[in-house]
Amino acid sequence: MKSLRQYLLAIALPLLLGIGTAQAADLSIELGPDQSNPVTPTTGDAMHFHSSIRNTSAHPVKGLVAWISLVEVTPGREQPMDLEDWSAHKAVAGASVAPGAALTTDWPMRLIQSGDYRVVISATDRNEHSVYTSPTLEFHVARKPVVESRRILPVAFGLPLLIGGVMVYRGWRQRRRT
Amino acid sequence: MSATTQIARKERRALLQDQRGLGWLLAFSVVLSAFALLLISNQELSLLDNAQVVYMLAGTVTAAGAVIAVILGADAFAGERERGTLVPLLIAPIATSELVNGKALGLVSAWGLMYLLSLPYLWAVGVGGQNLAQAIFYLALFGTPVVLGFGYLAMALSARSGSVLTSLLTSLIVLLFTTSPLLLGPGLRNSAIGRALDAVNPFSGALNTYDAVIIDSDPFPAQLPRLALVLAWLAVTFLAARRTARRPRFR
Repeated sequence: MKSLRQYLLAIALPLLLGIGTAQAADLSIELGPDQSNPVTPTTGDAMHFHSSIRNTSAHPVKGLVAWISLVEVTPGREQPMDLEDWSAHKAVAGASVAPGAALTTDWPMRLIQSGDYRVVISATDRNEHSVYTSPTLEFHVARKPVVESRRILPVAFGLPLLIGGVMVYRGWRQRRRT
Repeated sequence: MSATTQIARKERRALLQDQRGLGWLLAFSVVLSAFALLLISNQELSLLDNAQVVYMLAGTVTAAGAVIAVILGADAFAGERERGTLVPLLIAPIATSELVNGKALGLVSAWGLMYLLSLPYLWAVGVGGQNLAQAIFYLALFGTPVVLGFGYLAMALSARSGSVLTSLLTSLIVLLFTTSPLLLGPGLRNSAIGRALDAVNPFSGALNTYDAVIIDSDPFPAQLPRLALVLAWLAVTFLAARRTARRPRFR
């Protein structure tokens, strides 16, 4: 009787806990920078990262979702970044990866803001409860001298106002003479 | 005082002391201000580096300068005719070359003012970046013949047609065609037709030189063929203006 209970428990427990070791995906993710990336990236530059998500299990992975995350680690400004302006290619979804095969993805990114950043690729599939992540890549974005509003505004408003003022003054003087 | 100087002074006075002349300068500064404000109000554009922005501004200054030169040139003879002052001018003891040179010096004054007006804008967008001094120098070197050439072209058409409207429209069409590189961008200009047009288009010559010296830091000798192109444009349009000014249509 005891052996029958143990036998039933051995069958039921994995089913109750949802553990399917035979179906579990095993993904390994590699992440690297493109060789053409600037050595000292500055704001406005474009960078590319390449990821390779390999299915190391014996079963196909279906409904794979992989996404890129960017975190700012500048001292005092630590925060996850909204990639809205940085990249138009933020995720791949719905891919299937056969056992032993790999899904390689190019992640383009435009550097919007100076600071220290870490980029990471995460992946999961529709059957998994786990999220797999790549090692992080860290890079520094230097500030580039760009157009600054504090220089432009006085000129952009000042010169038309100056010429307009001269016109008004001349018109006023002419009217006074006549 | 020579007749050339007298005519040039009259033209310059019309630009500096006349409300209409100041109105043109105001319009020119508003165009440059709008361009500058666009740069800081758009995040995509604000990421452009200074050299790229200076290059774009130099092209805009040249194009706007050419538009105003065309307006002034179109008024040179046909405007005198419409105001009834052309005949007294023609029967006055003034040589044709003096008349054309006087009008041309008026154009030079107008362009000089526009050039000076553009300097604060160039400084505001370009300081701290590369090749700002080169940009200022090459804007004078290449912008002057291009702008004056358009003024001469409008002057020639003004003397030929006797109508401000006709000469203005024709000159503006030519100007629009030649400034198309500014609208098309380098991608479309890389075709065979684009390259052929670039080779003979004085505006492209100036624009490509701005690109080469401001962004790519190319040396002066590499710009000599383009300098020859813009100087040839100036010479051809000057000769056309002088030729048609000898027998302007005033009936």
